[in-house]
Amino acid sequence: MNQFLDMFLIGVSAASIYSLMAISMVLVWRSTRVVNFAQAGMALLSAYTGYELVTRVGNFWIALPLAMILGAAFSAFIEFALMRTLHKHSSQGAIAAIAPIIATLGLLGVIRAGIGFIWGHADVQLEAPLSKVGFKFGETTIAVSPMSLFVLLFVVALMVIVSLIFQKTNIGLALRASAYAPEIAQLAGIRVSGIRTLGWAIAGAAGAAAGILQTVNGTGALSPESLEFSLLLVFGFIAAVIGGLESLPGAVLGALILGLVLAAVQIYISGALVFIVAFLLLLIVLIVRPQGFLGSKAGRRA
Amino acid sequence: MIRINRRKLITTSAVLAIAALTVATVPAQALNPSMGSDPGITASSIKLGITSPLTGIASPGYNKIPGAMKAYFDYVNTNGGVNGRKITLVSKDDQYIPTTAVAKANELILRDKVFALVGTLGTASTKALTASTQLSQRGIPSLFVNTGFSGFADKKAYPTTFSILPSYQMEAKIMAKYVKETYAGKKIALIYQDDDFGRDALAGFKTAGLTFDTYIPYASGSQSLPATGAGWISKLKTAGTEVTVLFGVSSASTAALANAYGAGFKTQWVLGSVGGDATTIAATNKAYVPLLYGAKGFSFAPAPTDTTDEYIKLFQTIYAAAQPTQTFDNNVVAGMSNAFLAVQALKAAGANLTRAGLIKVIETKGSTFASPFLTPLGYSATAHIGATGYWVGTYGPTGALTPDGGKYTVYTTDSGTGPVVLSTYTRPAMPAKGL
Amino acid sequence: MLKKHPLLTFIFFGFVLFLISNRLDELRVYQGATVAIYAIGISSLILLIGYSGQVSLGHGALLAIGGYAAALARIHYNAPVWLTFVVAVLAAAAGGALLGLAAARLSGPYLAGSTLALAIGLPSIANQFPILGGEQGLFFDIGLPPASLGADFTQYKWFFWICWSVALIALYWLRNVMNSRYGRSWRAVRSHDVAAELAGIHVGRNKVLAFTISAGLAGLAGALLAMTISLVSPGVFPLALSFSLATGAVLSGVTTLGGVMIGSVALVAIPEFALAIANRYGSETITTNLPGLLVSALLILTVLFVPNGPVEQLRAKRGKNEHPVKKK
Repeated sequence: MNQFLDMFLIGVSAASIYSLMAISMVLVWRSTRVVNFAQAGMALLSAYTGYELVTRVGNFWIALPLAMILGAAFSAFIEFALMRTLHKHSSQGAIAAIAPIIATLGLLGVIRAGIGFIWGHADVQLEAPLSKVGFKFGETTIAVSPMSLFVLLFVVALMVIVSLIFQKTNIGLALRASAYAPEIAQLAGIRVSGIRTLGWAIAGAAGAAAGILQTVNGTGALSPESLEFSLLLVFGFIAAVIGGLESLPGAVLGALILGLVLAAVQIYISGALVFIVAFLLLLIVLIVRPQGFLGSKAGRRA
Repeated sequence: MIRINRRKLITTSAVLAIAALTVATVPAQALNPSMGSDPGITASSIKLGITSPLTGIASPGYNKIPGAMKAYFDYVNTNGGVNGRKITLVSKDDQYIPTTAVAKANELILRDKVFALVGTLGTASTKALTASTQLSQRGIPSLFVNTGFSGFADKKAYPTTFSILPSYQMEAKIMAKYVKETYAGKKIALIYQDDDFGRDALAGFKTAGLTFDTYIPYASGSQSLPATGAGWISKLKTAGTEVTVLFGVSSASTAALANAYGAGFKTQWVLGSVGGDATTIAATNKAYVPLLYGAKGFSFAPAPTDTTDEYIKLFQTIYAAAQPTQTFDNNVVAGMSNAFLAVQALKAAGANLTRAGLIKVIETKGSTFASPFLTPLGYSATAHIGATGYWVGTYGPTGALTPDGGKYTVYTTDSGTGPVVLSTYTRPAMPAKGL
Repeated sequence: MLKKHPLLTFIFFGFVLFLISNRLDELRVYQGATVAIYAIGISSLILLIGYSGQVSLGHGALLAIGGYAAALARIHYNAPVWLTFVVAVLAAAAGGALLGLAAARLSGPYLAGSTLALAIGLPSIANQFPILGGEQGLFFDIGLPPASLGADFTQYKWFFWICWSVALIALYWLRNVMNSRYGRSWRAVRSHDVAAELAGIHVGRNKVLAFTISAGLAGLAGALLAMTISLVSPGVFPLALSFSLATGAVLSGVTTLGGVMIGSVALVAIPEFALAIANRYGSETITTNLPGLLVSALLILTVLFVPNGPVEQLRAKRGKNEHPVKKK
């Protein structure tokens, strides 16, 4: 029973990290119908920004929101400079489907090289602001620490706020309309291009948080080749797909499923199978229920 | 229509012909290993090459090795070089990727024309570049490779390659003996990387007759995912493990130690030499180094903090002058020992230096070379084995490994079924000025 | 000339390469072999992306299947080299067919993401089955060049010859396939699959066929890669390889096979170029970061401004010149 509780808490803890990445991917998808494969690179850059801010400002709690704002700004800039030009030049032909994907892959490479130029390749360290020792209940320590609890609450709060924006506000309506039917939205007077940039900005903020929290919740080490970020991208994507690329609560649900399944495999079967199981899970969902658990049947096609 | 095609045909042919002619002026070069003197040597210089991970996932800690080697070579150069020749080291970055290692080795051999390779790092990279660049067929020595794969000591398979590290099987057998004797009756667990590196150790543990109560394999790469380490600790806790042996890379040790701390789980850690590298752990996060305190570790060179050791004293002085901003740790010791041994070999090969001569002299005289290691060297005409044993120590609060009992108690064994015995080897005195 | 006498062109090109191989130094010869391998790999992606409109970011996994199949055939059955290549093609094609069946229901980013996950997941399988050699991998030794070529004939030149012969044959064959009714069906499916279906083309089957052939070619490239490295291991087929191939495909222009050499040469030439610059400026940081930066920047610029590739762009321009739009 104890082991099951451990597994559950560990799975949930991992899920909160995956869901941050998944949320930011879903945000980009919902507002511009592009999957941003550079998300990991941007998260990495934001993590470095966070590192710089913490070193200069000295306070993590100030650095985090600042890094999120900078992340939003950078993301908006990318949408403005890169994605709009892309849309103009390659919205027809075979290349239309993959042009955004390839462009974001290129962006990932440029970001990595840039980080290497500026900060070098040695690890830099981002210290966690909260303790990572588990809470104690009498004799037993459970697998949740103040730091991981914070991440969990942060994710829930973020999801609630963003969902509210999307569902209940005019801006949110404009975001959804611009993604589904840009021509009609334009006719209705919505500045589609501006709204898309906003969508990317919000995703950028979420991605920045993902990068920073993933780092401090883990070992605290950052380097341009941090493998965690590439893995995080794939796992974030898998989580988003499981839950449904259309749905924000879906992103969190997908992350939860992924986190729990992987934790169970690790503890009860063998840690050697995690990558294979993740891939199989993705494949099964895509075959059995391609729109994801919380997605509606309509918008699966790209 | 026809006119256009003809024009195109003529243009294309012309372009191709010009290109072919231009290229034809590039001189041809053939592979001629037997003609003339070996490349990389002049009357006053020797060029050596190394490819290793200077960046990338395996680089923390290991990327200090080429710099350390260079520091020692420069010291030797200022003291007259080797038989009048100064040594230059060309260093390339392969990011621990085998295909890149092959490309870099090709550059070293074909473009930089080095005399020999030294210190290549990583089993897969070394295997790949040895086969692909046909080191053996070209007769190019590959000295003192930085990997514990036992196959490289096999002279038939790798005639020009020489090991320096004890193999992982040797290490596992010695660890097994230590665990059996010191922790008899306790619940023991093994965390190991689920690939050849970790499985090599598994074989060694089996040969030594050690069975664990819990086995925890992990897929290489997964140790950096959130929750992996927590999963290990949970399993250990449920099994009530008292002694945990870890045979993985440093990122795995970091994950294990940090999560154990976070979960309030106490166990006696026994770390393999690869994952127990305090510098690499410190490079990840300085805060983790104190977590090593009390863990057991293994090494075969004198401890970097042991200032009573004449080699360590010398190396420290040299390194402090060459790289004043870097910390002196066991990676530096590894690099400088590697360079030291290379110089001993080059010296012994004499003034009339050839590749074949160098290989022969290591086979015939290598076991008598001076070296900083506390175990005998196993080089012979039939096997290219380097160091052959380990001593046990405990990590201090700053991550320094000091031998148990205050003195180095070294055990030696082989990569096969031979027993683990206490070594009676006394290291000969360092040659004058460490040259 | 290519249009009128394609076979002659290919043979002529082969002859030129033969001349070149005798005059280049070994490093260039080795790099030349690598260019041939990339050419096959990129052409397989051009088929998949440009012709059938499906994205794969994990083609490295298919190269891996081919490479491992070839190595196993050689090690366990002592198969002659040409047979190992055949085995590689078949094994990878089988894998591609399976993948294609799953992929036929996916599109765009879903497919891209799934192939990405495959590229990460597949290598770890090698660690599960000892017959696959684990992290250290398996040797793949094709033996020395035949004695009839002379004692001076180097191993790398032998690789060069094999790689280019295979590449020229494969590219010629692929070009014929693309100009056949299969190619036309694929292009129809890519432009508008609903219309294609209405026209009687079985969309699903076509997509799977494209995937299968693409995978077979990728497997061939994988076997050749294994040959030049003499090793198959998970590290030989990292994620970076998949990305490189996708990059090369975009640089070449995904809609046409004509530009395939551009991407292949670029992938080999750019790191060389970056190295030359780095040696000039002597900085460690530049050496490590410049190649990645150049390739990625080039990729972005290509996608932005020359999205269909330089060859297609030229053709389009020429088309406009030859048939100017008449003003009414």
